[in-house]
Order: sequence, then structure tokens, then C-alpha cells
Amino acid sequence: MTDQTTNTLDEYRRDALLSHGELWLRYFELGGMSTALEVEAFLYEALEPSPHDRDLIAHALNERFVELGGNHPVRYADDVSRERDT
Amino acid sequence: MNLDDRPPGFGVGARFEGDQAVLDVRGEVDVLSVPTLAVLFDAVVTSGYPSVVLDLCDMESIDAAGLAVIAGAASTLIASGGRLTIRSPSTLVAQVLDINWLSGLISWEFPAPDPDRLGPEQVSPAPATPLGAASPDVAAFDLRAVASVPANRDVVDSALQLVVALARATVGGADGASVTLRRRGRLATVAASDQTVLEMDADQYATGEGPCVDASIAGRWFHAESLDQETRWPAFTPKARALGISAILSSPLLAGDRPVGALNIYSRTATAFAAKEQELAAVFATEASNILNHAGLEVTDDQLTDRLQGALRTREIIAEAQGVIMERQDIGEKEAFDVMRRSSRSSDRPLRQEAIDVVDSTHRHRLNLDRRPAGEIS
Repeated sequence: MTDQTTNTLDEYRRDALLSHGELWLRYFELGGMSTALEVEAFLYEALEPSPHDRDLIAHALNERFVELGGNHPVRYADDVSRERDT
Repeated sequence: MNLDDRPPGFGVGARFEGDQAVLDVRGEVDVLSVPTLAVLFDAVVTSGYPSVVLDLCDMESIDAAGLAVIAGAASTLIASGGRLTIRSPSTLVAQVLDINWLSGLISWEFPAPDPDRLGPEQVSPAPATPLGAASPDVAAFDLRAVASVPANRDVVDSALQLVVALARATVGGADGASVTLRRRGRLATVAASDQTVLEMDADQYATGEGPCVDASIAGRWFHAESLDQETRWPAFTPKARALGISAILSSPLLAGDRPVGALNIYSRTATAFAAKEQELAAVFATEASNILNHAGLEVTDDQLTDRLQGALRTREIIAEAQGVIMERQDIGEKEAFDVMRRSSRSSDRPLRQEAIDVVDSTHRHRLNLDRRPAGEIS
């Protein structure tokens, strides 16, 4: 579930100026095992990624934001579940 | 550390040659390594490469999971009108795939009998799957887009359409114009002034010859002054004549110094294109190349191969570092990844760099052990 104050993963992808293909390649580079179509489904929240997949995508996006001179805006699975608990 | 000096084990490489994607598989394909192969295969197939070669020359063994991946990929590929070629299959692989329905649909390339000499390529013709039976546009994404900066392809295509319209209106004697680009390893017309031009371009792609094909591949001018006297393209020329075309001028489009396509100008009048027209065509071809270069859209096979090979090397090194951390800290795979992820986050360095440091540290450790005098216990 996404709360109102947070972007969806696909919104982050657009902010990071990455195509779906490039983001998938970066995810794959980090060791991701899901296909490009599955990753797209995670981004659009049509499928729920495993915590590990969520972290791989978040990290791929965060590394990109660092390249662009930013920080790490995308939360990891731990952060998301911690917020849900509180 | 040189990432290429790595211990032998499972690995997969990818390279792109024209409309063909070649996956080189080495080492053992088993339940541990098969997901990497499967996901890479999927990426290549869904990105629309019509022809995939699986080179098993350096593969040591394969289990049922690996065979299932090959069978699955073959059926996906064939369903979209493509073709799978398996190069150097072992007897076992050939036998297993031969007993099911895929046997007639996969092409085989067996190694030549004389190991010192390369034999001729033994590629059987593509299966009789009707082209267009399933649209290749179902591609989930375009692999080719990954090595480029994001740009709106529609905007680029509109700009090219404008170049085509201007070329047709400005170049004396021009009755039609088009832009050919290599996309997904295949030549395609991305802008055309009319239907006749589209058909003529398609005839050239289908016959694999003609000025637009040659200019797109060789990266230099091709001028057919009068098709009545033309002998260079025997399969294509009669088709162009039948459509009433007498002269063609194809100028190369370049990304840097690499040919990526052509600007084609057609005329119903023989010898329509003299020096002045050729000069104008060059101006438009340069303009079209500038549009492409500015958008950064066109990616050559070499760039794509480099990008994907780089990703595969990074993936291997991260997996190796994960293994080292798992052993050192006695933790699981996911936890080991998290260790690197957290350190990458706090240091603002790419995770790849953290992984290289971890693997490097084991090499240094090993070197130190090797240098230690005999008898010393660590």
C-alpha cells in the first residue's frame, strides 16, 4: 500500500530520468531475478515485489539519484514495513 | 582487480550482431545459475530480436531446469516469428530437445569436424512461421533504449518526418523521401513521404539489397542514377522499376562515425540527382543525424553489447562479494546483500564499488597468505 505522501516507484523512475529498460538493467546488474515485465508490474503496483526485489529496485533508483547529485529518496522494504507498524 | 581474470564457473555473455543476439553460456547451468540465464533470455526475446543464438561451446553441464529454460525461450521466440539457433550442443542437449515438438523449430549449429578449421555456418532456414502471425510489438521494452539517455521517440520521429518533407520539397526532382533506421537490430522506415516510398524501402529490407540498405550498413553514399542501367541490386531493382522509380539517392545517417541508417530520396526521372541535389541531400542527412545524435536514441550493436556485458560482470562480482560476506559473517544471501547496500548508502558509492572492495580484500588476504614464510600459521 502506498501512503499519500510518497511517490510510487514508477514516479521515482520518471524523476530519475530512467526508461523502464534502463531501470530493469540496473536492477538486473544488482542481482535481480525478475523479468523486465515483472519489474514493470512492481513499478505500477500491479504486483507486490518481495522485500528483496523492492530493495533492489529502490537501490537502483537511489544510486541513480546520487549520480544526478541527489540523495536517497526511495525507501527500502525495512523502512516501509517499519512505518506500517507505527 | 581485473574482473576478466575470474575463476571459471557459470557465466553468460551477450552480444548483438545485426538482427541477431548471441548468448554465450559457460560452465554449469544448474538450478543455481539458471535464473540468470532465464531472465537474460527473457530480456533479449522480449526486446524484439528476431534471431537468438545460444552458444553452448563452453558449457560444461546442464540440468533439467536449464533445458526447461531453453525450451521455454524457444517457444516464446518462435511464437513471435523469431528463430533460435543452438550452437555446439552436446549430444545430450540435442537429444533431449530433439524428442519434443521443438526439434523441428530450433536450428542447430554443430562444431565442424576439423577443430583447427572453422566450418561453414550451418544455419537452417527459418521455420515456416508466417511473419506477423504474432506482433513483435508485444515487446515489454526495448533493450536498445537502455544504453541511451531518455528521450521521447515520438518527438524524434516527428522531427525526422519534417526532414523527409523538407527534403522532398527542396531537392530538385525528388518524388519521395524516407528515413531508414536500424532499430532492434533491423532496418525499418521511421519516416516516409508516401506509401510508394514505404513499399520501396520494405522491398529493400526484404531482399537485403538496394541503396538504402547499403548506405545504412556501409555508412557512405549510394546513388542509382538510372535504374534501367543498374546492375548492383538485381533482386531489388525490378521491384523499384515496377513502382515507376528511376533514380535513388541514399545518404548515410551517422551516430558519431557509425552508420545507423539512411536518408533516401526517390525520383521517377532518371539522372534527376546532379551535384546540386546531392549537396542538398547531404545537408538533410546531416540534419537528420544531428537530430538522432542530440536525442541519443540510436545505439549501436557494440554499445549495447558493452552495456549488457558490463551489467553481467557487475552482477557476477556482486554475487561473489555476497558469497564472501555470507561466509565471513555466517549470514544469508539477502542479509549479505543488505550489508553492501547499507555501506553503499552511507558511503554514497555505487554498490558495485563496495562489492569490488570486498572481493579485492579476499585476493589481498590470499596474497598475504601466499607470501607468508612456510610454517607460519595464520
